[in-house]
Amino acid sequence: MATFRVNPISESAPSDQELIARTLGGDGAAYGILVDRFQRKIYRVAYAITRDDTEADTITQDTFIQAYTHLGKFQGRAELETWLTRIAINRSRDWLRRRKFVSIFSHDDAESDDRIYAIEPVDEQPDAERLIMSHQLRAAILRAERTLSSQQKIIFRLRHYENHSLEEIAELLGLRSGTVRAHLFRAIHKVRKELGEWVTKREGVSDEAL
Amino acid sequence: MKHFSEADLLETYYTQPGESMPVMMHLASCPDCAARYERLEQKLREAASCNTEKPATFWTRQRLQIMRSIEKQQSHAASASRMLRVAAAAILSFFLGGAVVYESVKPVHHQPPPVVKVAPVAAAQTAPAPSAADIHDAWQSEELQDFHNVVEWESWVPDNKTTSKQGRSL
Repeated sequence: MATFRVNPISESAPSDQELIARTLGGDGAAYGILVDRFQRKIYRVAYAITRDDTEADTITQDTFIQAYTHLGKFQGRAELETWLTRIAINRSRDWLRRRKFVSIFSHDDAESDDRIYAIEPVDEQPDAERLIMSHQLRAAILRAERTLSSQQKIIFRLRHYENHSLEEIAELLGLRSGTVRAHLFRAIHKVRKELGEWVTKREGVSDEAL
Repeated sequence: MKHFSEADLLETYYTQPGESMPVMMHLASCPDCAARYERLEQKLREAASCNTEKPATFWTRQRLQIMRSIEKQQSHAASASRMLRVAAAAILSFFLGGAVVYESVKPVHHQPPPVVKVAPVAAAQTAPAPSAADIHDAWQSEELQDFHNVVEWESWVPDNKTTSKQGRSL
């Protein structure tokens, strides 16, 4: 049985393919290097979709465990990073669906959002108003996102938080670019009303602040 | 000059800005709208910024947990396959042992005696005819010889009755 030790990445970093081959050969430490290489990126994607620290952490761990289990099936047609990101997106999508199902019965969606975006007292800070505005805008975006389907939400969040291009999102989701564009347009049309009003309403207030 | 609304600028931001040519051309020529777009972009960038910067200990802990889970999964898989092999061996030995016992200790079968069916017609045809000595008339037995007189008397009575009946009728 292989034992794993987490070693710092050496100067001459081996390629992903090399590390995959070593992992498949039973070298557990090689997989540790791969985890170290991609865990931040995977966590960021999971967080962008779930907007939940704990879930992002769990999804990141699950992603790497699942990837290790099926590493033999990885054919190298896409980059390992893309493959891992796809796994993370799929797991995040499952989580979103579960959460949506649970929220039907619990009605705690709004409360949890308010908790996430609770505005902390920032009176002492020099840029307090700007920080409050940023928090309020986040809350507005989150409220607007509630009307989106899971797919639209994922696409919108990858675009909004991760700043992925449409082509990148299409590759990650295994969709055609046109399909992603259509989903994004529908999502934006749902979001823009609320955000547009919010921006307009705040424009007069924020002009001086910004 | 037609100015674009915030909603239009928002859409331009989320779709790739280069694709919305009318808006981009307008922004190039209208400093007011360009400033508004810049402010909107800045606000959205701020709102989108995720605080995913974690201390090094967070990543180390996460990595260790991943590796530990994988290790545990591997040991589970190994023990499961070991159990599977033991179970397969047990089943195989059970059947092999059973076969050996079956071959070495043959069971005694208590078979019922064979029933020979003989067709009645055929039996009658094949059976030999009884000889005269074998024919035994129960009414002519030697035991009845002592009752010879009675038999004679008995045989006499019907004759008398018949004669009286005949006389009366006459």
